[in-house]
Amino acid sequence: MASGALITFSLNILGALVALLTSYYAYRFNRLVESTVLRAISLGFMLLGVGLILDAGTSLFSGRTLVESYADRVFVLFATYTYLTVQMVAYLVIAVGYSRAAYGSGQTKTAVPAALVGSAAIGLYDFSLLSYFVALILLAFVVFQGFLLHSGRSNRFSTIVLLAFGLIFAAHLVLLLSVLTLGTGLFLIGTGIQFLGFLSLLVFLVRSEVVGAG
Amino acid sequence: MAQGEKQRSVLRINLDILNAVRDEGDAKPTHILYKANLSHERLVKYLDDLTAKGLIEVKQEGEARTYRLTPKGVSFLIEMRHAESFVQGFGLAI
Repeated sequence: MASGALITFSLNILGALVALLTSYYAYRFNRLVESTVLRAISLGFMLLGVGLILDAGTSLFSGRTLVESYADRVFVLFATYTYLTVQMVAYLVIAVGYSRAAYGSGQTKTAVPAALVGSAAIGLYDFSLLSYFVALILLAFVVFQGFLLHSGRSNRFSTIVLLAFGLIFAAHLVLLLSVLTLGTGLFLIGTGIQFLGFLSLLVFLVRSEVVGAG
Repeated sequence: MAQGEKQRSVLRINLDILNAVRDEGDAKPTHILYKANLSHERLVKYLDDLTAKGLIEVKQEGEARTYRLTPKGVSFLIEMRHAESFVQGFGLAI
């Protein structure tokens, strides 16, 4: 198997596990706190986790086989497009949830039109490019909201979550560049940075658990 | 959202009461009242509610009445502290 595919598979699976764990905690605590923001975070991270598992599976499949037959190509293309679509929806849900945390329910409308305008500008020229571009806009919005929240209500947990989203944003910037330049190395670097973002989220989950138990 | 905030504020009051009871061990109502920053009337309502939910129990010795956490109350408090840390990460407050 190509080592790049194996690395992508491993990092995406680990990232997916962290995303699903985050989703589970948000769901669990939503039963206590009853917040639409937690519901959005739970749904968003669940979609992200499922998408990453799908992408990991595709990496493994395309790394093991030569993907020469028409059926294989259709399968890989379908799986990739599904992952990219799920990823866009996941970041959209998280962005909406985050904006509600920052402003209440009224100001969600800024990121969505920006993402749609961006989508229209790129059109259907390249779906990968389109999806990474949209995800990048939504993540930029999430990081901005996170920064506002962190400024207003600074604590060690929001710092880690902000760092996590910042890294995931940086990862998508590199991934977008890799799509533009067709660079495999850049793609691996982007996947690695994204994994570091999920690792930060894992640190946040562990530390919040420790505080709860202490 | 307004309803959610209202529910959260009730949750916050309950948490303050439970924290006060935990800090004191056998907590007198006046101490809880002071730490939770509530009027006597509201405190009685919340204490009755928490007792009915099995999160605290009343200990009556003559005229003196004290409150302490039940095992269920301790578990709830741990879960709530975890929840509070989690939501703080996403810029929320209980």
